Amino acid sequence: MPIIVNLDVVLAQRKIKLKDLSKKVGVSTVNLSILKQGKVKAIRFSTLEAICAVLKCQPGDILEYAD
Amino acid sequence: MKTIKHLFVIVFIISGSVILTNSKVSDSVFIMLALFIIILFITNLFLRKNLTYKYYFMSKYNFLTSKYKSKQAYDISKKLMFEKVIEVIKHSNFVLTDIKKDTSEILAISPMSLISWGENLYIRFESTEDKTMMYFCSTSFFLMYSWGKNEGNYKKLLNNIEDSLTI
Repeated sequence: MPIIVNLDVVLAQRKIKLKDLSKKVGVSTVNLSILKQGKVKAIRFSTLEAICAVLKCQPGDILEYAD
Repeated sequence: MKTIKHLFVIVFIISGSVILTNSKVSDSVFIMLALFIIILFITNLFLRKNLTYKYYFMSKYNFLTSKYKSKQAYDISKKLMFEKVIEVIKHSNFVLTDIKKDTSEILAISPMSLISWGENLYIRFESTEDKTMMYFCSTSFFLMYSWGKNEGNYKKLLNNIEDSLTI
């Protein structure tokens, strides 16, 4: 898939664990793990907004398009 | 095999009905038969709640249950998929009944209704080269024909999994 999810990179930079992000965003750890692997079918704007708010980053920091 | 089973069931029901209505069978035989059915029903009711007895319900020789088997491949790891399906079942109207983490097996029961005693849903996962295979089996609990309910459970579970992949 040409969309690369860099959630693990951002999490490492912010030193936040997936479990903590899950609690703050209100998305299960399983779903965030699947997102981290880039295996989700779609991501809601509300979820993206919540992740960006917690990690204090831009959507482009998490999602990247690669040819 | 399925056709033979269907024929056997039809012959069994017709011959049983003819014998019972035409012959002068004593009341005790009727009582014995009713007791046998009740005991079998109660036994199944207890056995259905445990994964240990899955082969009893899933066996092709158990003509008292109808089965529907299918499989689906996912490109998500086995461990994640196992947890994902548990989460999906918890958020659906299926009842999560038993889990075996070591063998990645799940047993769920569809809800009882006026037309159904609920079906048993046996789900297990296996890792292949780069995919995870989900093996699904829906069996009726005390019904020779599921009237499409087993297939319906499979479609419902697949839809729920697909929906849950939008986060």
